[in-house]
Amino acid sequence: MLSLQHISKYYQVGGNKNFVINDISLDVDEGEFVSIMGPSGSGKSTLLNIIGMLDDPSTGYHYFVDQPVHQMKEKQRSALYKQYIGFVFQAYHLIDELTVYENIETPLIYQDVKGSERKAMVADMLDRFNIVGKKDLFPAQLSGGQQQLVGIARALIAKPKLLLADEPTGNLNSKQGEEIMELFRKLNKEDGVTIIQVTHSEKNAEYGSRIINLLDGRVESSKKF
Amino acid sequence: MIKNYLKTAWRNLLQNKATSFISIAGLAVGICCFLLLATYLINELRYDRFHQKADRIVRIIQNHKSPDYNEVNTIAVTPTAPVPVFKQQLTDVEDGVRIIDYSDMRPAIVQFGDKLFKEKNVLMADGSFFKIFSFKFISGDAGSALGNSSSIVITASTATKYFGADNPIGKILKVDGTNNMMVTGVVEDVAEYSQIKFDMVGSYAMMPRSLIRKWDSANDYSYLLLKPSADRVATERKINTYLDSLYKNDLAAGEKIWYNLEPLTSIHLYSTAGGLEPSGNIKYVYILGIVAVILLVLACVNFLNLVTARSAERSKEIGVRKVMGAQRKQLFFQFITEAGIITLVSLIAGVVFASFCFPAFSDFSGQALNFNTWNITWLVTAILGLFFIVTLLAGTYPSLYLSAFKPVVILKTKSTGAAGGNTLRKSLVVFQFIVSVFFIISTLIAGNQLKYMQNLNTGMDRSQVMVLDIGGMPFNNLEPFKNAIAQNPGITGATASYNSPVNVRGGYSINSADGKNSDFNLPVTAAPIERNFIKTMGMTLVAGRDLDLGDEQQVRKDSLRQYSFILNETAIAAMGWKPEQAIGKHIGLNGRTGTIKAVAKDFNFSSLHQKIEPLVIFPEYDWFGKLLVKTNGKNTAATIAVMEAQWHKFYPNSPFEYHFLDHEFEEMFKTDQRTGSILQAFTLVTIFISCLGLFGLAVFSTRQRVKEIGIRKVLGANVMSIVGLISSDFLKLVLIAVIISSPLAWYAMSAWLQDFAYRIDISWWVFLLAGGMAILIAFVTVGYQSFKAALSNPVKSLRSE
Ligand SMILES: Nc1ncnc2c1ncn2[C@@H]1O[C@H](COP(=O)(O)OP(=O)(O)OP(=O)(O)O)[C@@H](O)[C@H]1O
Ligand SMILES: [Mg+2]
Repeated sequence: MLSLQHISKYYQVGGNKNFVINDISLDVDEGEFVSIMGPSGSGKSTLLNIIGMLDDPSTGYHYFVDQPVHQMKEKQRSALYKQYIGFVFQAYHLIDELTVYENIETPLIYQDVKGSERKAMVADMLDRFNIVGKKDLFPAQLSGGQQQLVGIARALIAKPKLLLADEPTGNLNSKQGEEIMELFRKLNKEDGVTIIQVTHSEKNAEYGSRIINLLDGRVESSKKF
Repeated sequence: MIKNYLKTAWRNLLQNKATSFISIAGLAVGICCFLLLATYLINELRYDRFHQKADRIVRIIQNHKSPDYNEVNTIAVTPTAPVPVFKQQLTDVEDGVRIIDYSDMRPAIVQFGDKLFKEKNVLMADGSFFKIFSFKFISGDAGSALGNSSSIVITASTATKYFGADNPIGKILKVDGTNNMMVTGVVEDVAEYSQIKFDMVGSYAMMPRSLIRKWDSANDYSYLLLKPSADRVATERKINTYLDSLYKNDLAAGEKIWYNLEPLTSIHLYSTAGGLEPSGNIKYVYILGIVAVILLVLACVNFLNLVTARSAERSKEIGVRKVMGAQRKQLFFQFITEAGIITLVSLIAGVVFASFCFPAFSDFSGQALNFNTWNITWLVTAILGLFFIVTLLAGTYPSLYLSAFKPVVILKTKSTGAAGGNTLRKSLVVFQFIVSVFFIISTLIAGNQLKYMQNLNTGMDRSQVMVLDIGGMPFNNLEPFKNAIAQNPGITGATASYNSPVNVRGGYSINSADGKNSDFNLPVTAAPIERNFIKTMGMTLVAGRDLDLGDEQQVRKDSLRQYSFILNETAIAAMGWKPEQAIGKHIGLNGRTGTIKAVAKDFNFSSLHQKIEPLVIFPEYDWFGKLLVKTNGKNTAATIAVMEAQWHKFYPNSPFEYHFLDHEFEEMFKTDQRTGSILQAFTLVTIFISCLGLFGLAVFSTRQRVKEIGIRKVLGANVMSIVGLISSDFLKLVLIAVIISSPLAWYAMSAWLQDFAYRIDISWWVFLLAGGMAILIAFVTVGYQSFKAALSNPVKSLRSE
């Protein structure tokens, strides 16, 4: 599905290059469920953002569905991104001014999906996540767990092949966290969505089929189950 | 997609009520002022353009250069001959008309049955008047209305005044007791934006002067209609060639007379020659135009400022939208849509405000202004134009700025950081305050100048002097009337003069004098007066003795009239004499000969825009325009009642009317006062808009700094130090604005003051005061926010982080 080869990311600090990602090579196949772990500041979010094309690496090659992302223009990249990737954040990042329904609908609008079709897709998603009753509420009126459900629903609405999640349960209690992880597992198994998540929790990491440990911008260990 | 933009935009607007209100209020006020000013400007620019042949009509003005006087004397009137002669002799001239301002010196007394009115707007014009100018006829025919020497055309409201609902055509109006004139036409009331304004136009042929073609004694306003093929400048050249040969033998060496042709449509704004009504001033058109644009820009700047200030809050939304696949273009349109909605709401509010403000603004500007002043396509174009310009001006930068945010930068840092654009916002606040301070300084200086003019010692005592129109009243009744009212203890003196002493206009010249060449010629202003004039008006003589009864009797003799002249110091200096030397010297003034009896200390006898010029006053035998009555100021109402009773006894056929000389004096700088009040109004508006902007920024900056403030408080900062911390940021900006603005205002107002011959020096305290005011206003605006922030509970603000 994707292949990173000798990817580095550094910031110029004074005269020195401060490497946040240091020569990482990584292949992820379709249908995998990868958990990335590591201490704070080890570069997990940066790596995820590079995979998600939100951030550019300083050097290295990046292939996504066999296409060279590192050679692409902004526009092509954004088209590729829209088609394949969904993002979930630790802080949910819902748009406060929009209702639950509209938050979920927004990606479809940016993909020029027709109105009637959008309605059906959003209704479907609300149904699936059991939040039909909440569709007209604003984010501020929801609990953290509910907000993250909406965040995930929004990430999935456009049927992405790859779901990227940066500490999706970081702000949730363990019971809410478990529900989200169950949902991920189901998505991965039943719908074949490839998932890459960043987490600090061993327990949540074990939902994945592979755990990658980062330390100082390098892959320290990687094990498959 | 657009529906989605609109929805979010609308919700955003409602959700941030404070900011939305500030943006909309600022923009609405800006748009309102812009529309008002634009209306005023349109009115100025459409002046006289309603005549179908406007582009072919010119006015003749006459220039005279005397060898003994440096300045060229330009007047907007000509003798009687030029119009008929040019019409005959120049192929370029299709038609022409002479107009006499019949009621200029004194109102005409017009009678119909038992109805008697003083008419102040009566013209007499050649029969071609209504063929050249396009005044709309309600009844009667433009071609023939003034065909007869006793024809008169009146306006609709004049017709109602005299005849009510009756048909005016064929009715006879008695003008000044002797002339019976028949109404041959009724025209619509003359528009405000016409330099030729009248209530009645009678036939020029009614006056004896129409019979003689004279090349001297200029009294007629002369307009020519040029042929479509004619070139104005070439025609002017032909006219002057003609004049050169005409005057060849009559002019002294170095003396010169020539004409200019002024296009009708440029007279109101460009002519300095005067005319049927005081001209506007193209300078004010430019100034007000600039003010209009500046106000609009200020309002846009406000909006722009508030939107970019909110960028910190919106950065998260922008980041999320980008992660969800929004392209920059789409975000740009979203923000532009928001700007568009705010603009639309403001535009509606602004148009509504403006329509409410029109009556007051019309009073203010002395012109009947409303949306009808616009032609409808212009209005629609202007409003659409405003919509797009304001939207783009206010929306483009923030939209570009916001849509360029990089999502990683925003989303990675969990805070809502990204508070960029600070320098820009600060510069904009500085810009707003530069404009505000500029206006404050200008208003203060203009106010000082106006006060200075009002209180200037003009060399005469205007206080408690009432002015009565006595032009055309039987001269023999004057003395008895004066004696009768003098019985009243409230009246301390009464004296007649040709013109009002604050506005003496007669153009004469001294053309012979002891010790000067035979072709000596000094143009002077001159006016007949009575013997008590100097005393009653509180003037001073620097040499010689005041006029007495003997001097008056001397000029009333039928033969061997000898005049006693009083010249002002300037005239004496222009003659090259010292005051003491001048006494007893013989001079001739347009045929009147006599000796100089006294030299008067200079006093201002016309607009304070002009320096005091040479003036001659002298006793005359039988005609005066004004009676000046000095009262002691006590129980004025009773004094007036007594005067009115006496008036009706002596002048039964004429209404009693009076005004105060002080008032007349102030009327003379009404345009300046008007400019002053317009300046004042717009100062308030700019301050208001700038304060809105500052207030908005203060709200955001305190909101952004709640955490910092909380921490400082926990660390022990007291309220005052926090208020100081926040306020000083803004006050610094205002201070910078004051520093930049002061020299600009100084420069501009110095230029404005150049127009006044009598002007104040700009003093330093004006700048200090203006700066102090700006800082105070800014402090009040920001202070509330600072206090609120300083008083808030730190635990709360820190927990919410
Ligand atoms: N703009 C920047 N300039 C310099 N260094 C940066 C910049 N952005 C991030 N870094 C550094 O990159 C490193 C990796 O950051 P990253 O957010 O990927 O860590 P993380 O592994 O996700 O940590 P956490 O578990 O706390 O989320 C950090 O040490 C951070 O200081
Ligand atoms: Mg992280």
